[in-house]
Amino acid sequence: MPELLQLTVNGLPLSAMIEPGRTLLRVLRDDLGRTGTKEGCDDSECGACMVLVDGRPVNSCSYLALQASGREITTVEGLASADALHPLQRAFLEGGGIQCGFCTPGMLISAAALIARDPDPSDEAIRDGLAGNLCRCTGYQPIVAAVRRAAAEMRGDPV
Amino acid sequence: MTERFAGPTTVEAALAILASDAAARPVAGGTDLVVAARQGRKSLPESIVAIDRIAGLDHHAVVDGALVLGSLTSHEWIADSAEVRSTWSALADASSIVGSPATRATGTIGGNLMNASPAADTTAPLVSLGANVMLRAMGRGSRIVPVASLALAPGRTAAAADELLTTVIVPPPPPGSGSAYIRLEYRRAMEIAVVGAAVLITLASNGSIAGAVIALTSVAPTIVRAPEAEAALVGEAANAATFRVAAEAAAAAARPIDDVRASADYRRAMLVVVVARTLAAAAARARGESIPIPASRWAPGREV
Amino acid sequence: MTEPNRRDAQPTDAGPPWIRADGEAKATGQARYTADLAVAGLAHARLLLAGRAHARIVRLDTTRARAMPGVLAVLTQDDVPDRRYASYGLVADRTLFARDVVRFEGEVVAAVAALTPEAATAAVAAIDVEYEDLPPILDVEAALDAASALVHDDAAAYRHDPNIVSGGNLASRSTIVKGDATAALATAPIVVRERYVADMAHPVPIEPHSVTAEWSGDRVTIHSSTQVPFAARAGTADALDLPEHRIRIVVSHLGGGFGGKCDFHFEAHVAALARAARRPVRLVLSRREEFIAPDKVTHAMVVDLETGLASDGTILARKARLLLDCGAYASDTPAIGQVAAMMIAGPYRIPDLEIEALSVYTNRTPSGSVRAPSGPQACWAVEQHHDVIAARVGLDPVEFRWRNLVRDGDEGPTRQRHEGNGARETLELAVERALAGPPLGPDEAIGVASGWWFSMPGPSGAFVRIESDGSGRIVTGAQENGTGAVMALPILAAEELGMRPEDFAITYQDTDSGPYDGGSSGSQTTFNNGRAVVDAAREVRRQLLELAAQALEANIDDLVLADGAVAVTGSPDRRVTIAELASTAHSGALLLGRGSGSPPELPEHDSSSCVGRFGFEAFASPTFFCHAARVRVDRATGLVRVLKVVAATDVGRVVNAPGAVGQMTGGVVMALGNATLEGTVYGADGRQRNASLLDYKLLTSADAPEIEVHFVENPASNGGPRGAKGVGEPPIVPTAAAVGNAIAAATGARVRRLPMTPERVWRALTTGDDGAAEGNAPLGPRASTATPTGATVPAAPAGATSR
Repeated sequence: MPELLQLTVNGLPLSAMIEPGRTLLRVLRDDLGRTGTKEGCDDSECGACMVLVDGRPVNSCSYLALQASGREITTVEGLASADALHPLQRAFLEGGGIQCGFCTPGMLISAAALIARDPDPSDEAIRDGLAGNLCRCTGYQPIVAAVRRAAAEMRGDPV
Repeated sequence: MTERFAGPTTVEAALAILASDAAARPVAGGTDLVVAARQGRKSLPESIVAIDRIAGLDHHAVVDGALVLGSLTSHEWIADSAEVRSTWSALADASSIVGSPATRATGTIGGNLMNASPAADTTAPLVSLGANVMLRAMGRGSRIVPVASLALAPGRTAAAADELLTTVIVPPPPPGSGSAYIRLEYRRAMEIAVVGAAVLITLASNGSIAGAVIALTSVAPTIVRAPEAEAALVGEAANAATFRVAAEAAAAAARPIDDVRASADYRRAMLVVVVARTLAAAAARARGESIPIPASRWAPGREV
Repeated sequence: MTEPNRRDAQPTDAGPPWIRADGEAKATGQARYTADLAVAGLAHARLLLAGRAHARIVRLDTTRARAMPGVLAVLTQDDVPDRRYASYGLVADRTLFARDVVRFEGEVVAAVAALTPEAATAAVAAIDVEYEDLPPILDVEAALDAASALVHDDAAAYRHDPNIVSGGNLASRSTIVKGDATAALATAPIVVRERYVADMAHPVPIEPHSVTAEWSGDRVTIHSSTQVPFAARAGTADALDLPEHRIRIVVSHLGGGFGGKCDFHFEAHVAALARAARRPVRLVLSRREEFIAPDKVTHAMVVDLETGLASDGTILARKARLLLDCGAYASDTPAIGQVAAMMIAGPYRIPDLEIEALSVYTNRTPSGSVRAPSGPQACWAVEQHHDVIAARVGLDPVEFRWRNLVRDGDEGPTRQRHEGNGARETLELAVERALAGPPLGPDEAIGVASGWWFSMPGPSGAFVRIESDGSGRIVTGAQENGTGAVMALPILAAEELGMRPEDFAITYQDTDSGPYDGGSSGSQTTFNNGRAVVDAAREVRRQLLELAAQALEANIDDLVLADGAVAVTGSPDRRVTIAELASTAHSGALLLGRGSGSPPELPEHDSSSCVGRFGFEAFASPTFFCHAARVRVDRATGLVRVLKVVAATDVGRVVNAPGAVGQMTGGVVMALGNATLEGTVYGADGRQRNASLLDYKLLTSADAPEIEVHFVENPASNGGPRGAKGVGEPPIVPTAAAVGNAIAAATGARVRRLPMTPERVWRALTTGDDGAAEGNAPLGPRASTATPTGATVPAAPAGATSR
């Protein structure tokens, strides 16, 4: 029996009638048209589907959509403001953190979650914080540098 | 296919559904259950009771020296807790290496236990620390089950279908003790234990070993104790030679399997290494020496 | 000693930021990949895969599936043109759907289109198939035995490229022969023989394959996650018996490929489903399917090496025999054997060579063009062999390489003349930088490995045009797989036209608009399409200068095109902007250039004594490189932690530094995964045991080491734009070898089985078993797979061998 799901995605209240077994990823992509969040595997191993649920990083591919009922979801589409990219997005863009771009949405979400927990992360903390997001293109080094830079900018430190 | 979904906000409401709907299964973070369904290993239950909004299950406190954790306590909270890190270090060692930051933020201690995986990281520390869980059902109240006897087989527990794991209780460790959990991991993250060991070791005032509890990960259908190794330690000096003897006793008694992650030969040999290293780490902590959390990263490349 | 080459080392994070044009869309989630496209009336496809390695289809009945609710079409080989198609025109050995026999686990038996993914899945489960299982053929050595059962009973009847030497389970044989290696080995003072065995590995793009097809009349538009749109179109045309102009392949954004999305995969299946269902249809592979079904994996390889040396360490001769596991279908493997043979020769002075590469059919997933196909495995074997040799003659590994690496004027394996090569400079640079770190700790060591790789000349086209407002557009057939190679094309056009890169938009990866290009494969985009863009831009430049000469009433030779305007030399006030010229042009002859740089020919060489030639008998504009890896080995567990990799590469000329650096850092980490963790594990039943990202382990950010990138620049005289060579593939080639050498240096134990997993390192350390004796037989009890196979090793003079 389909159930009514009401949730907030990137600040916008949304609702959909969904089958109870559907994952948050499927609902975001298929029912709500938010395709920025990607599907790269079926065992929560790649991190391409990462979103924030009430500020916590979640693999949306293994999270039931109805569990998100009433909660605040942030996807990659919600990082930038109307007139400016998020510092993380700009740092990725300028620092070679994006190649094919398929891991980028999840990587940015994990990075945002990391900086929220630890505004001044060491390189080791950045590497641990992004370890749930596989990237096959960059070798991670440019991404780690971009997160370091964005964190500094967000703290107001000179970059 | 899942037909019914409920998101109760009280334990009583959850228990009522579990009592009235024989197909109902509780879900906390959902990480393991949904993955299994997506891979076609085990379909989602016909009826799901999402317990993640039950306020009464996410408490955590130290009561009379015991660590009392609601079943919804996340790995992230455990890994960050100064009290757990200093007093129940083995549990912090484990929770801090479960999956990825997202797994730790969403995954719960109750889910990890009830999934009954022989590779579950938090189970062996809880066994070594002598933890119990409270299982509660409608009309029958609560009962206390040792973590050591909760899992019966991979994916199967001693809990009845209408029982909910509400609380994990970890007793205060004995004076002069230290604990650690180390797993052999091929990667530093997103990993499943090839083999793992949790140790609670208690040192007498003269530095010898007063007692030890050892629990092993990924060497049997459930997390198992290593009684031969424990016995080999009592009364001995807490040094590398003793640890080696005990570790070999643990390995000799283990019946690891061949699978895609490792051969049985390698698992058995690694059990010696991991048990010895975990004993050393736990003993160092018992002596008040600082072994960083997670201990799995401690002293890589150094044979104990 | 020759003149030192110009060295232009680029630290990893140097240079001004380069903002790729597709970057913002990718950073904000706006970028639509194939699976993201919204299509009205979309139906969903699922494939029925064989799920068994080798079997005869006794009965295939789709009646029940067709009758299920929501099912729009169910197809088998009976529903498509019954013809065998060939990848890249090499061997026509396969059909879209299995006919009578399935030859690997991921072979497509049937396909369903339905209204929902769930209905499609249910219908696939309702297809009735009865199989008679056949023994899987999994061991390349046993498969070559005359008594072996055959993967293809009727291989002799297959249409194939005339250069292919084949027969039985032998899919292709290539040799590289120079001089008389047999005679030279017979008199060599020292001969070293070794065997190395590499397992298969997977490309693992994070985006799984996805295809959407939609018909409009007799034309079909296929959105596909392909790296090679034109090859995908050719394959679809071949398999469905359609003219190419009725097929349009479009790639929206591509989520990585690494070779896994080369060739032609599921485009025709989905097109046929869409035609039958009378609706647009989409297929998206699950991760498990992505492992077993797309027939592009690295070649499992058995490498037997025999090298003769003078007592001073000079290499005198080499014989080698390589067995490449081709898998169930030939794909592009027949050509890759020749590459592997060239890689075994390497950039070394070796007077006498006899290298034979045999590609062998088995019931595994077909191999093919994964990033630098055969290169990492071959380099891993031969560069560890070189460390063994160096030890045998008492030379330091670096000194050994320094003495034997080619220099300008030396002859290659088929007597191509080396010029402007940076082989020794990259060695010097990598070693110097690796040694600059802190002193080595216990169980730490540095390993080095050198190598070479070809640039791939090929036809490629582009148009450049100036719009009416003076902004530019590049229309190209090239494919952006994420590397940034297409995104960097404006750098080249801008330089020719005195404009800024950001003044250009790019129309790309659409076979209806761009001219032919070979796709993102063979590191060829900058090399080939870059030349085409430069040619097209030069044509526009001439047009601009002619217009400006009229407008300024000046001699064309006196004009300078720079900073968005044409000016008269010495009279900076006499100038006209490109925008003004474009406006003029749009009332007359348009500013429109075409480029189709004819591919550079192979360097002069002599391959008359070689068989199985596919254009790799000499290496065009080869890159040279050396990686140095600093590792720490946990002796008790066999865990290898790579602490740092220094990658030094002679890339000819760096066109776009941030892009080139990104190729290096990404290539090294992919190579490290291949070296230590990845590797396909097969069961004795021929099915993959680790078709998931939990058990097929990629390095995470927590595992990846620091990578230091350096470039040596020796512009290629007959290379890509500005003398550039290919950069996408070289970084994955030598890293595993460097790690293997470091493990051996740290522990004294050498692992001759790739990947060098913790268990294999531990086994080598504790028992001396180097892993090579297992051959490429599947996972199983070790006793049953450890049959000695010494008979296949070329004979060597008695008493002169070492191991």
